[in-house]
Amino acid sequence: MPLRSTDSGWGVLVRAFHWSIAILILVQATIGLTMVGMGLTPAKVRVFALHKSIGITILALVLLRIAWRLTERRPADPAGMPRWQVRAAHALHLVLYGLILAIPLSGWWFNSASNAPLVWFGWFDVPSLTGGYDPVWKPRALLLHQTLFWVLVVLLVGHVGAALWHHFRQRDDVLRRMLWKR
Amino acid sequence: MTTKTSSTFLAVMLIALVAAPAWAQPWQVDAARSTLTFTNTYQTVTYTGQFRRFNAKIEYDPADLAHARFDVEVDIASLDTENSERDHAALGTAFFDAARFPQAHFVTTAFRKAANGEVLADGTLTLRGISKPVTLTVKFVQKGGDATLDVTAQLRRLDFGIGTGEWADPSMIGDAVTVQGHLLLEPARAPGVQPAASARSG
Ligand code: HEM
Ligand code: HEM
Repeated sequence: MPLRSTDSGWGVLVRAFHWSIAILILVQATIGLTMVGMGLTPAKVRVFALHKSIGITILALVLLRIAWRLTERRPADPAGMPRWQVRAAHALHLVLYGLILAIPLSGWWFNSASNAPLVWFGWFDVPSLTGGYDPVWKPRALLLHQTLFWVLVVLLVGHVGAALWHHFRQRDDVLRRMLWKR
Repeated sequence: MTTKTSSTFLAVMLIALVAAPAWAQPWQVDAARSTLTFTNTYQTVTYTGQFRRFNAKIEYDPADLAHARFDVEVDIASLDTENSERDHAALGTAFFDAARFPQAHFVTTAFRKAANGEVLADGTLTLRGISKPVTLTVKFVQKGGDATLDVTAQLRRLDFGIGTGEWADPSMIGDAVTVQGHLLLEPARAPGVQPAASARSG
C-alpha cells in the first residue's frame, strides 16, 4: 500500500486518517449522547473530561488530515459514473470535512464560553477560545455543537449508504480502495 | 439625694466609663467597591470565585489592636465562579448546601502582631454549620480619611464538609482554598452628622 494516493487508490495515510477519525467520532458521539444524561457525580465530570480530550484529539487529527490531503491527489472516480454523482460525492466530502472540523471547534468554544476546565487527558491545559466566561455565546455554541452533530449524522447516512451502494450494487472498488485494496 | 448616694452614683458612673470597651474606630464598608474572592482548583485548573453579597462590620485602629473587631456575614447564595453549572452544583447539598446554611459567619477573637510585623486576626469561621478557628493576615492602609483593608486566609474546604465523600478527591476539587477580602472603608458616622472635612480629603 503506497504512502501517497495514486490514480487507482488511496494512500495508506489517507486511509489511516479516514478510519481512525471515523472510529473516534463513533466513540465520541456515544460518549457525548450518554454523558449529558448522567447525574452529577465525579464520574460525570470525568466522562465530560474524557469527551473533551478525545474531541481535541479528533480536532488535531482532522487538521493533520486536511493538511496532508491538500498535498494529495484523489484517485479517479469509477469510469462511467454520472457527472452529478461525482459532483455530489465530492461536495459531500467537502461538507464532511467542514463538519468534522466545526463540531470539535464548537465543543471547544462551548467549553471555553462555559469557563470550564480543559486538561488534555489530565496532561496539559488547553487554552480557552473566549478568554473566560461568555454567557452570551455559550448557549449559541452549544446549539451549534448539537445541531452540527445531527447534520453530520444525517449526511453520514448518505455517505455510508453511497459507499455500500458502490460496493454491493455497482460492484466497483470505491469501498475496497478505502479499505484494504492495494 | 444625699451626698452619700450621689457620690456612690458618681463612682459607679466613673467605673462604668473606664470599664466600658473603648470602641476601636468603626468603619463603613463601601460594598460596591469591595470584594470577597477565593481561589481553588477544579480538575487541577485554578479558578477564582466570589461572594457578591456580604456584610462586614469593621472596627479597626492600627494603633489599638486590642479593640479591633471584624464581624462578617456572607450570603452563600451570592456565590459566583463565572460558570453557571459549577455555581449551581456548589450551592447544592453536596457542597455549600445553601438552602440549609444560607450564611457563613466570621468573627475575630483576637488580633496580634507576628514576628515579621504582619498583623494577624484570629477568629472563628462558621461555614456549613461547622465552626473552626481561622487566622487572617491583615493589611490596613489609610489614605486621607478612607482606608483599604486586605485580608487573606488559607482554608481547607474539607474541614467544613464542603464536597466530602465521593467529591473529596483533591484532583477533582482542590482542598486548599485561599480567601481574599478587599474592603474599601469610609469612617462610619452617625446618621445626620456631617462628615469631617478630613474624611473626604485624599
Ligand atoms: C468530533 C468531535 C465531537 C463530537 C462528535 C461531539 C459530539 C457530542 C455530542 C453528540 C454531544 C451531546 C449533545 C447533546 O445531546 O446535548 C456532545 C456534548 C458535549 N460536547 Fe462534544 N463532541 C465533539 C467534540 C467536543 C469537544 C472538542 C469538546 C470540548 C473541548 C466537546 C464538548 C462537549 C460538551 C461540554 C458537551 C456537553 C454539552 C452539554 O452540557 O449539554 N465536544 N458532544
Ligand atoms: C464519522 C464517520 C466518517 C466520516 C467523517 C467520513 C468522512 C469521509 C471523507 C471526508 C471522505 C473524503 C476523503 C477525501 O476526499 O479525502 C471519505 C471518503 C470515503 N469514505 Fe468516509 N467517512 C466516515 C465513515 C465512513 C464509513 C463508515 C464508510 C463505509 C461504510 C466510509 C466510506 C468511505 C469511502 C469508500 C470513501 C472514499 C470515497 C472515494 O473514493 O471518493 N466512510 N469519508
